[in-house]
Amino acid sequence: MNLLESIRVALEGIMASKLRSLLTTLGIVIGIAAVIAVVAIGQGGRAVLMSEMEKIGTNIFAIYVDWRTNKQVTGREFDLSDVAVIKDKVPDITRLSPVNQVSGEARGTKDKKSTQILGVSSDYAYIRKFNMKEGRFFSEEDDTGKRRVAVLDEELGGQIFGRVDPLGSKVTLGSTPFLVVGVVAKGESALGFEENPKVYIPIQVWQVMFNTQVQELEGSAVSKEKVDEAMGQAVKVLERRHREPGKYASVSMEQEMKTANKITGIMTLVIGAIAGISLFVGGIGVMNIMLVSVTERTREIGIRMALGARRRDILVQFLIEAVMLCLLGGVIGMALGAGGAYLIAKLAKWPPLVSWYTALLAFAFSAAIGVVFGILPANKAARLNPIEALRRE
Amino acid sequence: MIRVENLGKTYMAGAHPVVALAGVNLEVKPGEFVAIMGPSGSGKSTLMNLLGCLDTPTSGCYFLDGTKVSGMNDTELARTRNRKIGFVFQTFNLLPRMSAMRNVEQPMIYAGVSPRERVRRAAQALERVGLAQRLHHKPSELSGGQVQRVSIARALVNNPSVILADEPTGNLDTRAGEEIMAIFQELNRSGVTIVLVTHEPDIALHTSRIVHFRDGRLVGDEPVADPLDARQLVSVEPAANQSGSSDQGGEAGLP
Ligand SMILES: Nc1ncnc2c1ncn2[C@@H]1O[C@H](COP(=O)(O)OP(=O)(O)O)[C@@H](O)[C@H]1O
Ligand SMILES: [Mg+2]
Repeated sequence: MNLLESIRVALEGIMASKLRSLLTTLGIVIGIAAVIAVVAIGQGGRAVLMSEMEKIGTNIFAIYVDWRTNKQVTGREFDLSDVAVIKDKVPDITRLSPVNQVSGEARGTKDKKSTQILGVSSDYAYIRKFNMKEGRFFSEEDDTGKRRVAVLDEELGGQIFGRVDPLGSKVTLGSTPFLVVGVVAKGESALGFEENPKVYIPIQVWQVMFNTQVQELEGSAVSKEKVDEAMGQAVKVLERRHREPGKYASVSMEQEMKTANKITGIMTLVIGAIAGISLFVGGIGVMNIMLVSVTERTREIGIRMALGARRRDILVQFLIEAVMLCLLGGVIGMALGAGGAYLIAKLAKWPPLVSWYTALLAFAFSAAIGVVFGILPANKAARLNPIEALRRE
Repeated sequence: MIRVENLGKTYMAGAHPVVALAGVNLEVKPGEFVAIMGPSGSGKSTLMNLLGCLDTPTSGCYFLDGTKVSGMNDTELARTRNRKIGFVFQTFNLLPRMSAMRNVEQPMIYAGVSPRERVRRAAQALERVGLAQRLHHKPSELSGGQVQRVSIARALVNNPSVILADEPTGNLDTRAGEEIMAIFQELNRSGVTIVLVTHEPDIALHTSRIVHFRDGRLVGDEPVADPLDARQLVSVEPAANQSGSSDQGGEAGLP
């Protein structure tokens, strides 16, 4: 008896009780749908996260004081001269800026707003790839000249100036007036990150207004391949200059992306595994019904044996029936899961990511479930004694 | 063709053994039509199961077409059932959800016959038992006599060495029984070997030889001097024989 005949006989068995067959596969349908949807959503989310991070820049890094060390934080871990020295000693670092932050109030012609006041150098605009909506970012001369100039977020500008063009207007930070020289265009974020409104002023002005510390450094390297090495060299320079080994910590976008990749991967795996448990339960459901089916069809098995079916033929028939049931469930589940993932992706504006690879895997997996959970009932069928089977009502 | 020597079968029913068959010596030659008779529990079905390779004896030897069957493994027994044996059961044992055609195809599926050839031979076999007009009917759409004719078609479709029929008329009324015997006689005339179990003397008298069993032993073996011809009894009612075009076949025909 060849495979094609076995499939036909198995199909006849399935078609003989359509509703029951469909209900039997329900567990598999739900399991496969859940796995497909979870994996697709996970992969879609990860792709969005990665592209988001890539947009920010894959070659940027930050150096800050490691808060996990027990060493006393003095506030003198960085100073402005570090920036020039590091740039000089580490040629792979193209841009480097001190970054100081404090929250404060910004007042425009229309309204006032609580905001983050960032003290940075002119390099910061390059590191963060700022896109100017109007005006310019402040220059090195603005910084060294300690000019009271400020650059606003597009959002903040709208909030405190209303319909008035902020460019050339005065923004008051605390009680100090600043000339607005530029507005940074709002970046488009598919993830919809809600960032605090920000205002950027030259670091040297920031230091006069608040304190003389430098909180951390941000920079960019020539390439994402070089960033981790360059960042390490910068840390060494700092450790030597300040005689504070082990006090600095650093992170690059490259590292962050790897971590994010890993975390989303693990999350997908964990949720996928939980969804996989429902597949397991579905498999047990198939096994259960197949066992009942073998008992109900004992006489059929006896007849087939009398007509010349070998034990192997019976085994294969029931095994194929289980596999086909699971494949049927797999196909329906795949359609449902892909549909669900597509819908969610559409709502979240993510790319729908049901790969051929995932579909193929789900297909193979449901077949495997059929084999694993079909073997017991099939074996039970094949072991029947033909005479007793024929006598059964 | 069939030769059994000192054949015995003992069942273990709980603690004590039940001797169902003991010391049976029997030979059936090609072309014979043998009836096996005996009271209930005398071992007739046990013998048929052994001859049909559904069971293995606990003692003795069984040769079919010169090949020793006793001692074969499950796979060889299945092959032998498929190629050399055709079963006709008292309870018909057709697959209920399948058409007559598909039922008759089954033994050929296990024999590896191609689909096209299967269809051809199944139709031919059904025609031979007078069911040319009922190819696509399911068992539930046929009368008892017609159902048994389908199972005869199924039994002969692989050209077996012998057809084994255990009380084939047991669930049929006299008239349908006569129809079945007419078909068996027709097949036998064309050279098919048949072994048939019955407890009805009228049925047994249609065969050419009667073997008697009692308490698991063969106690009598005699030829039938003047076998009855089922055709005469059946043809009393016109158009009810093997033409197959009649709906009156089966138990519905007689009061
Ligand atoms: N599977 C079995 N287990 C135990 N005893 C059995 C079994 N099958 C048949 N027998 C016994 O064997 C004897 C012969 O049975 P059987 O061949 O069916 O008789 P018959 O068909 O002539 O009526 C009976 O006594 C019956 O009870
Ligand atoms: Mg019996």
